Amino acid sequence: MRIIGDTNISFLSYRKIALGLSSAVILVGVAYMFLGPGLNLGIDFIGGTQVTVKFQGEPDLDRIREALSTITDATPEIQRFDEVEKHEILIRIENPGDAEGDFTKPILDALHEEYDSGLDGVFDLNTQGARELADRLADDDPDGVLGDIEDRKEHYSAPAQAVLGYRKLQGMFRSVDDLDQVEGLSPQVLAHTKMIAGTGEFALLGAENVGPTVGADLKKKAQLAMWFSLLGMMGYIWLRFQLPYGIGAVAALFHDVLITLSALALFHREINLPTIAALLTLVGYSVNDTVVVFDRVRENLKLHRGEKLEKQMNDSINQTLSRTFITSGTTLMVVLTLYLFGGDVINTFAFVLLIGIIVGTYSSIFIASPVALAMNKIMVARRRRKRQR
Amino acid sequence: MDKKIIYRIVLILIVVGLAAWSIYPPSERINYGLDLSGGVHLVLQVQTDDAVKAELDDAGLRLVSVAEEQGITLGTAISDPEDLSMTFDVPAGADRAVLSEIVLDYFGDYDVQRGADSWTLKFKANTEKMIRDQAVRKGLETINNRIDEFGVAEPRINRQGIDGDRILVQLPGVDNPERVKDIISKTAFLQFKEVLGGPAPDRASLLQATGGSLSPENEILPGNRTGFEGEVIGRDFYLVKKVAIVTGRELRTARRSQDEYGQANVRFDLQPSAADKFGAFTESHIGTPMAIVLDDRVMSAPVIRARITDSGVIEGNYSIEEAGDLALVLRAGALPARLIYLEERTVGPSLGHDSVVRGLRAIVAGLILVMLFMVIYYKLSGINAVLALILNLLLLMGAMAYFGATLTLPGIAGVVLTIGMAVDANVLIFERIREELKVGKTVRAAIDTGFGRAFGTILDANITTLIAALFLFQFGTGPIKGFAVTLSIGILASMFTAVFVSRTLYMILMHGQDRVQTLSV
Repeated sequence: MRIIGDTNISFLSYRKIALGLSSAVILVGVAYMFLGPGLNLGIDFIGGTQVTVKFQGEPDLDRIREALSTITDATPEIQRFDEVEKHEILIRIENPGDAEGDFTKPILDALHEEYDSGLDGVFDLNTQGARELADRLADDDPDGVLGDIEDRKEHYSAPAQAVLGYRKLQGMFRSVDDLDQVEGLSPQVLAHTKMIAGTGEFALLGAENVGPTVGADLKKKAQLAMWFSLLGMMGYIWLRFQLPYGIGAVAALFHDVLITLSALALFHREINLPTIAALLTLVGYSVNDTVVVFDRVRENLKLHRGEKLEKQMNDSINQTLSRTFITSGTTLMVVLTLYLFGGDVINTFAFVLLIGIIVGTYSSIFIASPVALAMNKIMVARRRRKRQR
Repeated sequence: MDKKIIYRIVLILIVVGLAAWSIYPPSERINYGLDLSGGVHLVLQVQTDDAVKAELDDAGLRLVSVAEEQGITLGTAISDPEDLSMTFDVPAGADRAVLSEIVLDYFGDYDVQRGADSWTLKFKANTEKMIRDQAVRKGLETINNRIDEFGVAEPRINRQGIDGDRILVQLPGVDNPERVKDIISKTAFLQFKEVLGGPAPDRASLLQATGGSLSPENEILPGNRTGFEGEVIGRDFYLVKKVAIVTGRELRTARRSQDEYGQANVRFDLQPSAADKFGAFTESHIGTPMAIVLDDRVMSAPVIRARITDSGVIEGNYSIEEAGDLALVLRAGALPARLIYLEERTVGPSLGHDSVVRGLRAIVAGLILVMLFMVIYYKLSGINAVLALILNLLLLMGAMAYFGATLTLPGIAGVVLTIGMAVDANVLIFERIREELKVGKTVRAAIDTGFGRAFGTILDANITTLIAALFLFQFGTGPIKGFAVTLSIGILASMFTAVFVSRTLYMILMHGQDRVQTLSV
């Protein structure tokens, strides 16, 4: 089977259109990033607290906002998380000024006050842990183990783990009757747990708090990683090919990163550590694509001496076109499954790769080679001038 | 069969065997990162300034008591943590030679500046660094002890940071992070102090009742006012002596207990050396109150009824859980300095579980799609690529298990991405073979040139991706490192599977046929 047969498209003659189009997109994107709403930096870089909570029913965002309003002067950002029917929300509070501060506990306390104040003294199956349950059971001793408190704790730790195991699989307990489905509970423990336990309105899925010190650290590391990778790749290509090709490849990289960042800003996607990892991956992927073309150019230059570089480049792009599309296609397929089925935690990561692969494929054809060609022209001209002098 | 083919097959079988051996059994061999197993990741900073101040204060007390033994009565030494020094007045009639001796013998870590009527002891150049370093080490040890007592499987506790004053704590599977955070960061410095005045509702009235000004030997500490059943109903202040009778350092053990009304409390035993001091003090102070101070807060101030030597009870209206945790931190030892949380990430068990399920779903879906495409597009050669791909995943998992690498959520993304990129090598080769066939080469020659030419390209292309992965590993943290690792291993494995294994499969296919006319590609 064959999708792309022999082609002879004069890609390089579209270079002016392509460069113009890309420049325009980048210009708009950069303007949007720096003059407009800007990049949505996550708490990894600006410092703050982020808490993900799952609710029994449809969460009322206004009610939650109201409940959290007294925690701090900063307004908490509250948004839906993941699929609507999962009833999950994400709460984000930026750190005020330069202070280190963790809002996880205040947030959870405020939610408890608002939703579960009736549960005081009751064991909340949705927020408390296995150890706490084991402690409670050891104290009440429904199985009549007697003996030392530590022995009793030992005895009740397995059933307590089993109860929490259910929450792990199901996300949360709907009612105490869900305890019937937990395996490994003695009738006494089951009855007793049902008696002392209640089911709160919400469960904590995850919490993150990054202070300004670590935030600044992470920012610096992310920048270093970015610059070092770019330099490393330019160096490698310079070494393996020639300087014009190195510059061409890096120009394509800047192009890809800038456009992807613009897309992140435009869609208000959060930039956090995994996003940076995705950007670097895309950098690696995009160079990969470019190198395949340049490799072919180098081979063709040896085979057909005397032909113009522009034609050689065009031929090389055409010869590798089929491979370019198939590889981009298969990678796109898997990234798309990640984007669609990978869940919200990894979604922005997949988004970056999705945009990046499309842009990266385009740039290895329309940006890398034209820039390399132009750089080559400039250098050849300069060498000639030197010789004439 | 051709010897060359046999060697190749043997090598492949060995690699596959090693990979399978290192993965088996998968549930035990593959480490899940915190983001997949659920758990807590904490970065704490040790406030080493506390330790510096404590050392200066402690040195002051030591000096006064040693001088007293030698017959010189000194006033209280004033410490200045900013200047890293401690100053004391030298009485007019004091024997300065004896004082010099004392300083030389007991304060080797200090330089002394002798003034007309006051001397200053200042840290030597290395002393500050040493004190700070000790504080972090002690902090690390204490946290280790506490986590150990609390009982978490496979905790990771490391020192990190440029100044070395940060401690990284990773606790997989912890389902109540707030409790663990409390246990880790509670200073838990227990002191027994002589009560000179109070309780009083505020500082001012306490000062008034005890003569107006606060002597440098004493201090005012807050405490809880408790109601009839031990519930907290307000705040009280106590005037106490700064120097403790006995501190938590001299504790032998502590455990959770209950009083006759079922109220949880903490029972402690003292070491023999402390028991003597404690016995002497309580004997001479029967009928007066003694403050039990925890982290500069008076927990209770019971009146001494009889001589107490080696054990006692701390009451404080605790829940069973709180009493247990307090006993735990007292047993594990006090922290030398306060800790503050710089970073923390908690992944609840259900979120981690959800991530694994979804990640696997994405991997499987992506894998099936790519395999289908390869078989449809390259037919028999596609099956070759599919075999290489499966082997690639096996090698990836095997290498991760062998190196004890951790699978994280971004790591799963790395696996997915590897699937996409691993077939790239096969695509490059197959496309090249097709080209060579088209210009009229024989099947054998086309395969030879295809693999030969494509290999250089594959190498160049993969090295660039490896460069990105290398810097990600260097500068990344936690999950990102996991991603860099899976990506790197995946790329390296793909060079073996797509080039060496695929080539061998072709060799087997061609074997025994003199002239191969067609190739399904």
